[in-house]
Amino acid sequence: MHGISYYDLRHVTGEVTHIDIDNGAVESAGTSFFNKAILRVLVKSGWGILQIDNYTPCTGLKFDELLERAAKLAIITEENVVLGDVPRGQLPVPPVKENPRDIGIEEKAALLAEIEKSATLPLITNRRANYIEKNEQVRFADSSGNEYSFAMSRSGFNVLAVASRNGNVQMGYEREHSIDGFNLRHQQALGTKAANLAISLLDATLAKGGKMRAVLDPELAGVFAHEAVGHASEGDLIQEGNSVLVGRTGERIGNENLTIVDDPSLHGFGFDPVDAEGAAVTRTEIIRRGVINAFLHSRESLAAVGNGIAGHARAMPGEPPLVRMSNTFIENGDSSKEEIFAECKNGIFLAGSRGGQVDPGRGIFQFNAEYGYLVENGECTKMVRDVSLSGEILTTLHGIVLCGNDRKMSPGYCGKGGQSVPVSDGAPHILLTDAVVGGSGVD
Amino acid sequence: MRWWVAVAWIEELIREAEKVVDEVEVYYVEGTSVSADLKKKQVSLATISQDCGLGIRTIHKGQIGSSSTNDPGRWRECLKAAVASGKFATPQEWTGLPGPEPLDTTPLAFDAGMQIEPGTARDLLDDLLEGAAAHPADVTSGSAGLSSMKVTLANNHGIRYSDRSTSVSVSLEAIHGQSTGYEFGHEWSMDRIDPVAVGERATFFACESADGKDIPTGDYDVLLSPLAYAELLGNVFVPALNGRNVQAGRSRLAQSLSQQVANPMISMYDDPLLPGADGSIRWDAEGTPTKRLDLIKDGLLCAFAYDLKTASRYGQKSTASAVRGGFGGAPTIGHHNFVVDGKRETVDDERVLYVHNIVGAHTANPMSGEFSVEFSNAFWMEGGEFQDPIRSAMFSGNVFDLHHVISGLSRESRAVGSLILPSVKINKQHIIGK
Repeated sequence: MHGISYYDLRHVTGEVTHIDIDNGAVESAGTSFFNKAILRVLVKSGWGILQIDNYTPCTGLKFDELLERAAKLAIITEENVVLGDVPRGQLPVPPVKENPRDIGIEEKAALLAEIEKSATLPLITNRRANYIEKNEQVRFADSSGNEYSFAMSRSGFNVLAVASRNGNVQMGYEREHSIDGFNLRHQQALGTKAANLAISLLDATLAKGGKMRAVLDPELAGVFAHEAVGHASEGDLIQEGNSVLVGRTGERIGNENLTIVDDPSLHGFGFDPVDAEGAAVTRTEIIRRGVINAFLHSRESLAAVGNGIAGHARAMPGEPPLVRMSNTFIENGDSSKEEIFAECKNGIFLAGSRGGQVDPGRGIFQFNAEYGYLVENGECTKMVRDVSLSGEILTTLHGIVLCGNDRKMSPGYCGKGGQSVPVSDGAPHILLTDAVVGGSGVD
Repeated sequence: MRWWVAVAWIEELIREAEKVVDEVEVYYVEGTSVSADLKKKQVSLATISQDCGLGIRTIHKGQIGSSSTNDPGRWRECLKAAVASGKFATPQEWTGLPGPEPLDTTPLAFDAGMQIEPGTARDLLDDLLEGAAAHPADVTSGSAGLSSMKVTLANNHGIRYSDRSTSVSVSLEAIHGQSTGYEFGHEWSMDRIDPVAVGERATFFACESADGKDIPTGDYDVLLSPLAYAELLGNVFVPALNGRNVQAGRSRLAQSLSQQVANPMISMYDDPLLPGADGSIRWDAEGTPTKRLDLIKDGLLCAFAYDLKTASRYGQKSTASAVRGGFGGAPTIGHHNFVVDGKRETVDDERVLYVHNIVGAHTANPMSGEFSVEFSNAFWMEGGEFQDPIRSAMFSGNVFDLHHVISGLSRESRAVGSLILPSVKINKQHIIGK
């Protein structure tokens, strides 16, 4: 068709099942379904994009009309977009042990109720458990003849316990989400774990802020990798000039022992068999042995920036692909957890994550732990709560002096450009020197 | 699609539902939106989107079921799914869906003249760039969006409400060296949006924050801009006023009714009929006629927000606070135009630490209110003028506690999403310097 140099269509249909149990009552449970497509058309001056609800696959004149409509939008664009050549291919979706679709909602609700009930302990004033299951059928086709289709199921649950005493209200939170199939069985202990954490936090003291040595648990260190390094290495931000890592490929940013990876091919919660614009997915070492090695790219940002690997374009159903992280982690080092605490000697141990945020252009990030302990003479002593960490990308990574050998991944969701996609983050235990710890405690 | 066509299938849906359940509610949204994005100073993409969403809720013997789809052609399946979902719900006290009221049908946030066209988006981007050119920062990205939406609410007690609304939004990000600036604006009418000013502020903050200095750890008087205040208020304080959280034991304010929860100069209310505000509407997402809800009056906590479901269960009355997230979502407790108000004065005369925005407020503890965030575009300010920028520092405190030590509200307010807020001056806040 006239003027169109490329197009692709990504069509996603599926259903979402949820169960919400709040203090023993089933608040809501049921299934909703959706059908969304996005057609991207590239002309000389840029992208025209149609977002289509209830797409019915079509060919011939009808499809040409859609292409025409999208191309017309590009009347107002003015960017000469070049798409990089990328390896193709689709990975198999890993088989699930037990398909959640084969299990009735009654059984799911009963299992979830047990998890929720197990959070019943003295001082617990609220228990809440949610189950969420998303089944998606993805079809992709582009004007270069690439076609992919696959079905994916993601499911999991959260359990929250709130403890309350004399106006002091604290919470404990546990979650498990995966692509490995139904995971509600034999998880009752997690409700109790959340409740015990909430109760312990009632007696925790507020952390006192300042610069100190900090040991981060695998979950929090994973969020650290995600916030401090992952976002700033996203090719679209590099292309826009909105990252402190622009032009720093090859620069040392951390110690020899630090390697940070994003790997959408890994069978974690952020797994994609093929990316949202049909590029093959592969492991990308963002930081290799302390040196900035490769950016995460889409086809467009790869062509514009280079110095990295495509296959990192991701999208919610019906939304345009953006450069995103998938499974992001700090590689194992060779220290044991015991060595890390011994080396820390006096400082703070931070565990669990309440999320984080980064300003990649300024290179400043912040993230929050669920709880922590003071470390005195290499031992965890007093429990602290409401403690966060902030830092600057270009200097803080040098402070990672030890990496453990016990990497663990945790599932979550990451927001960017109004889209939320499933991700996992992880790391071994790490020791961070000169950590800027925030907390409103006083002496 | 003409209105009578839409009525036909909704009427049929209600008739079908009445055969199997006591009550049924249909919420149907149709909308068109256009957006265009800047990459640096070039328009890189234009998007048009046609969305629809159908949400069905059924109530049978106190069991509430729901389902949604973005394909109204599948309403029968959606109804079946809603009825099936009701069977799993724990039965609860239920006082019934509302019946129709003779409400004014004129929409409150609808600009009939708004052209939902790529050309309009392009013009907005040009205006953003014109404003941005006032300062030497580099534009990294920007966007402009326009949308028009029609919402229909119907139930088997005879409610047939429909409302139209429009929205226009712009945003711009800029960088100057290693200093960033971000600004945005959103309005329901084209007359009210000022993209030139938004562009100017984005590059202003990027430039003005360059070469910031560190400050020592200590207690400082802080002036939070509406943006920074919205982050703390929206993530922590507003959820604590939600009747569901209150009844479930997830609110620190649960036991504080009629007590002092903020400085006596502070009042907070939700005004769904506020002239000119984006969220103004005459009925809530369940069809309850809206009216002003006073939550905090002169520092005293006087009410919580309720929808029908939570109100029925706990012997309360709906405060017309039901809202729906996105297309076809189930109703939840929210607000329409949440206003923080009180005695207004000049708050930037004396030397104060002005904070334009903060990083990481969503990581605050929503139960206890503790937070620890990074500054973004912070300055010393005196005599209303921006002075030395502050490079970075952490701000730690407690959202509930800080409301007791608010010492002043600025004369001007600004809308940040559905929150309409002044700048707030707060004395003696803990800042962790570098």
